[in-house]
Amino acid sequence: MADDPDRRGFLKAATTVLGGGLGIVIVAPALRVCVAPTNAQTVTTPTDPIDIGALDRLKVGAPWQRVDVIAPVVKDAWTTAHDVPLGAAWVRRTADQQLQALSSVCPHLGCAVGFDGQNFLCPCHNSKWSDAGALVANAGPALRDLDPLPIQIVDGRLRLTWVRYKLDTAAREPA
Amino acid sequence: MKVRITEWMTERVRALSDQTRLGIPGGPSLAYVFGWVIVMFLGVEAITGAALSAFYAPSTASAWASVAYVQDQIPLGWFVRGLHYHGTSALVIVTGIHLLQTAVYGAYKKPRELVWWLGLILLVLVLGFAITGYVLRWDQAGYWANHVEIGIAASAPGGPTIKGLALGGNEYGNLTLTRFYALHVIALPAIVVIVVGAHLWTSRLHGSTPRWGRDGLAATKRWPRQTLRDVIAMAIAFAILTGYVVSQHGADLAAPADPSAAYDARPLWYFRWLFELRHLAGSYERIAALAAPVVVGGLLIGLPFVDRGPDRSVKKRIPFVAAVVGLLLVIGVLTMRSFSRDAGDAALAKRDEAAALLASRARALAVKNGVPISGAQDVFKTVPMYTARSIFETKCKGCHDAQSKDRKGPIIGAGHGNRAWFEAFLRAPSSDPFWGRTKMGHTDDAMKPVELTPAEITDLAELLYAQSGASDADATKRDRGKALFDKACTDCHSVDEGVSGGGGPGLGQLGSRDWYTSFISNPKAAIHMGKLGEMPRFDADLTITERDAVAGYLVWLRTASQADLDKLGPL
Repeated sequence: MADDPDRRGFLKAATTVLGGGLGIVIVAPALRVCVAPTNAQTVTTPTDPIDIGALDRLKVGAPWQRVDVIAPVVKDAWTTAHDVPLGAAWVRRTADQQLQALSSVCPHLGCAVGFDGQNFLCPCHNSKWSDAGALVANAGPALRDLDPLPIQIVDGRLRLTWVRYKLDTAAREPA
Repeated sequence: MKVRITEWMTERVRALSDQTRLGIPGGPSLAYVFGWVIVMFLGVEAITGAALSAFYAPSTASAWASVAYVQDQIPLGWFVRGLHYHGTSALVIVTGIHLLQTAVYGAYKKPRELVWWLGLILLVLVLGFAITGYVLRWDQAGYWANHVEIGIAASAPGGPTIKGLALGGNEYGNLTLTRFYALHVIALPAIVVIVVGAHLWTSRLHGSTPRWGRDGLAATKRWPRQTLRDVIAMAIAFAILTGYVVSQHGADLAAPADPSAAYDARPLWYFRWLFELRHLAGSYERIAALAAPVVVGGLLIGLPFVDRGPDRSVKKRIPFVAAVVGLLLVIGVLTMRSFSRDAGDAALAKRDEAAALLASRARALAVKNGVPISGAQDVFKTVPMYTARSIFETKCKGCHDAQSKDRKGPIIGAGHGNRAWFEAFLRAPSSDPFWGRTKMGHTDDAMKPVELTPAEITDLAELLYAQSGASDADATKRDRGKALFDKACTDCHSVDEGVSGGGGPGLGQLGSRDWYTSFISNPKAAIHMGKLGEMPRFDADLTITERDAVAGYLVWLRTASQADLDKLGPL
């Protein structure tokens, strides 16, 4: 019986198929679990405007001022944290009711951009922008102007909407 | 001595290599599948464990939260966790069967002692995985079960050192988790790989041990006829595990570990016999708990030494087989006694039910609100207005809840301070829901019912309602109410901000958050009830933040219905 080659071949095939199938059945759910968070929003930051202080803190015509953007609530997978820094923005008041805000995130690779009184400078790769946030050509590798952020005044308070854009592209697209 | 050991080893290893490699005397049988089923379950543990380790965060603040996250929020997370947890039970069962079979077959006899001992070590390692894994979830069940286990270890000679090593210091904390985690995912798996490898290597060199009486028969290769049987057995075993995991919706998860809360800790079912033994041993429980494993282990390790002779037939080895089977029976009876003791305990069932309710609340809150970064225990504080409501529960309800038997003040509940409330108050200030239960309510100091037309009472109520700053106040009605107020009420009251009344309380900003905070701070202040005040002051008892939180809750109550109140959920 054991010597019948057909039967032996069938037994071998059956063992391989059954064994392989069992392996797949065991591994599949484990893999499913590991890839589950891939496209999920596991870290939830506020998409609505965030209060960054009173309008009074900005004087008309004063230079750019750096403000921290602090989310009231951030959900990160299993935890909920309050008052979490998201990043920083450069803001100025051009007229009584007119504001400008630029993201401090360098559009090249995301370093924090500084302001030296005349220009914006990125410390990582020397990209440079004018006082208005326009890219200074050939200074560094950044491909676009600094990213403006929506800012508005509500009841005498500054409300800034925090947006992250895709890095290292010439066009500005939300990440 | 050294020479003798070397000779002993050489004799066995040479004997091994002379054996028919991988052959099975007498052909394949379903009786020989258990070893490979164990390997399959170890594989299941390794794979599911790797997946779970991609989520687990071993710290006291986050451990429970990360486990709850996998269990309740990751697709199939409950299934993988269930396989991992119940897979240990499967391993204990199949390893037990495997060892029992080896004992009945006498397969531990010379030259297979090494295979037997390595198998015993494997069983101990599986139990080690169970102990180190159970605490990682940092829920009430795992946390307290670990206290019991470490408590036993600590009563052994050198116990305090063992305890300190295990916990990483003097108390349960972050180091306890990181250390048990390191043992569970690094140290034990590494040792298991070595032991399983050695076990397989030695047993393969020997070839399978057939049932007694088949020794002389022609050997056939494992592949493919025995292998097919192995794989079929693996598939059936995995299917049973899967069915069980699905029926239980994975592993349980109790409420977050709480060092201050009592919990009926029960060890995992395969330690229940020890638990019962301690119970029976009374004041000798510590000795029993330590001695029992030593006795059982000694018996199993010693078998190859006492059961010598080459004959493996059961009939010739009745005392040894009886000893092993008897041991198993004793363990079985003790286990059943432990479970039936619990099953007959109505009070325990009630406590378990309460614990299960707490667990489901904690997990529902974790899904809805996330777990605060301050720790899993604080998940209970994520219910709406937790601070205010828990203060209200302990400090206010006795005197102000409609259900309270010894209520001493006005009822405070849904709709407190809305228009209907003011109208009812104005009509009968000393009625039961208002001043009726106060001492003042039945004296001449109490306010008399307002005798105005219903329309006028509505206007007056609007004026009082408007004091809170409610945005829906009707200005026309309020102004008419102010005219009535100036005629009828100003002898005792004022609605000007910060001005106390004559004999009665100042009503400016009545019902606003600031007014409530001020009132709670000191009801006997001149601007509030003055000498007529009966409520104690809370400015020392509660912080300003707490008083403000309660005030916020009272403002919320004004527009809340009983349904809104019920929707807040329990504290």
